Amino acid sequence: MTPSVLLAPPVSVWGARVVRRWHRTPRSFQVGAVILMAHVVVALFGPFVVPYGPAQMGAGLPLAGADWGHPFGTDMLGRDVFSRVVHGGRIVLLMSMSGTALGLAIGAILGLVSAYVRGWFDEVVMRLIEAVISIPYLVLALLVVTVAGPALAGNPLLVVAVIAFVYAPRVARMARAAGLDIVTRDFVTAAQLRGESVWSIVRRELLPNATGTLFVEFAIRAGYAPVLVGSLGFLGFGIRPPTPEWGLMISENRELVLAAPMTVLGPGLVLASLVVGLNLWTEGVARILGRTARVGEQ
Amino acid sequence: MAGDRRVRGVVRLVVRRALLAALTLWLVSLVTFWSIEAMPGDAATRFLGRDATPEAVARLRERLHLDRPAPERYGRWLAGIVQGDLGPSLASNRPVAVIVGPRLWNTLTLAGLAFLLHLPVALIPAAVAALNRDRPVDHAIAAVNLIAVSLPSFLIATLLLVGLVMIVPVFPAVSSVYPGMPPAQRLRALALPALTLAIVMAAYALRMLRDNLVEVLDSEYVRMAELKGLSQRRILLRHALPNALGPTLNITALNVAYLVSGVVIVEKVFAFPGFGTTLVDSILVSDTPVVQACVLIAAAVYIAANLLADVGALLFHPRLREAA
Repeated sequence: MTPSVLLAPPVSVWGARVVRRWHRTPRSFQVGAVILMAHVVVALFGPFVVPYGPAQMGAGLPLAGADWGHPFGTDMLGRDVFSRVVHGGRIVLLMSMSGTALGLAIGAILGLVSAYVRGWFDEVVMRLIEAVISIPYLVLALLVVTVAGPALAGNPLLVVAVIAFVYAPRVARMARAAGLDIVTRDFVTAAQLRGESVWSIVRRELLPNATGTLFVEFAIRAGYAPVLVGSLGFLGFGIRPPTPEWGLMISENRELVLAAPMTVLGPGLVLASLVVGLNLWTEGVARILGRTARVGEQ
Repeated sequence: MAGDRRVRGVVRLVVRRALLAALTLWLVSLVTFWSIEAMPGDAATRFLGRDATPEAVARLRERLHLDRPAPERYGRWLAGIVQGDLGPSLASNRPVAVIVGPRLWNTLTLAGLAFLLHLPVALIPAAVAALNRDRPVDHAIAAVNLIAVSLPSFLIATLLLVGLVMIVPVFPAVSSVYPGMPPAQRLRALALPALTLAIVMAAYALRMLRDNLVEVLDSEYVRMAELKGLSQRRILLRHALPNALGPTLNITALNVAYLVSGVVIVEKVFAFPGFGTTLVDSILVSDTPVVQACVLIAAAVYIAANLLADVGALLFHPRLREAA
């Protein structure tokens, strides 16, 4: 909180304060937040509003072009692509966000503990993390899919696990760097002198002081997660059809893209708008927290 | 004498970085081998599936030495890799190196072309943005850049495919290349996948390039050049660009991970017979030796690029050298 906020006269109406604060945020944050809110609202309520089910065939003639009844046209099974895109929002958002959150939690704990205990544990964990990071993220994702085997193939939980597994080492590296800085402060020494346990120091002293770094880290990773989900779906290693996941839809409709271009462009533009919204929001959050965001970093 | 000591210091640093890179690659081999080993069943049953006859399974087990303990097989695998032997493929009887080798070469050609293409795609808008700093053009380029960074590579590839293959038929839709293909034809086949990768890479490089250019354009020597009365163009091309390009290329080398990941997607879209399609195809048929080899190669490329970038930075920035 800036001093000007602290010294401001108390505002009786809560809403007015929110509006004032909103006006002080960077433009990128505002635009990003509006796009994200739109996506969340559509994901929550959209499925009740759209006229067709996600797997409902015969919503129209197969490969009918886009018109008012079918804004994104129909696919080769006669399913309404717009309805499918709206239904897909839920699963895409849910998988992206929970995967990122899981990866953040694992990475933060690993990195902070490593920064605190140092010694051979830190050395071993960081070397291993360095090795895992050196496997390019999509190749690593495919390795995780392979190891999970056919029993888990197509399971949304596997996609969540893949995102978490790809992100955790990258988050851990950042968390460790932040942790190394915090460990030198007096309040950590004080906690040590009080005889607190490693876990307690990491949770009560390091974690609260690393939230800024971790929050920006979450935002950056979250911005890329829908692309990762889409890429897996596109390659056929994500959720199984007929789930209306956007990457999978693009890959399904790609063969006949000339007959009905909107069946590919529709889900593509919606996916891109989500990622643009997330990236703008990230940039804004980073600027508010006084950090630089490396938007688009994988 | 002092110079001699400095050279020795640099050599020692480079050797240390190289040893660290080798250690990392060895750890990758551990991760790759043991994660696949941890899967249920063994390579033979996974590959042959549920309907395989016991004899076929037994034959494949013998060929892969699956009766030996895992640590011994790991040692054998590692010893083979050091000698350039990646073991046998399951899907075909040929060695993995023979299957992956030519495909890796195709991919390297593609990546090299993409790298060359991405320079002008990033440089021109970056220069325009830097020269018009904080004007509407700069903001517009930044907005387009953000959208480009946000577009998944499979979408960029599909859009290019629709635009340049089907609506304006300039390029072939399927980018197959084969040995002995005429160079002109090969270039035409490579053009679209390379352009896709170039756009992806340029989107990441553009912003950093623009920021570096802005910084360089503010520097004393550019002001000096302006005072000398040199033309805008000459200042940009001769003084600003070379100085802004160095750090950007360094980051590009570090960001080879994007390129390798992009390759997997782009090759799939254009049915290009490269490293990425090999990886995806072998995962689909559970050809685990090929999968392991591909993961190891991808990591090796990344590690090598990082090593080169580090050593390059060390050689070109004396201050880093002193500090290290």
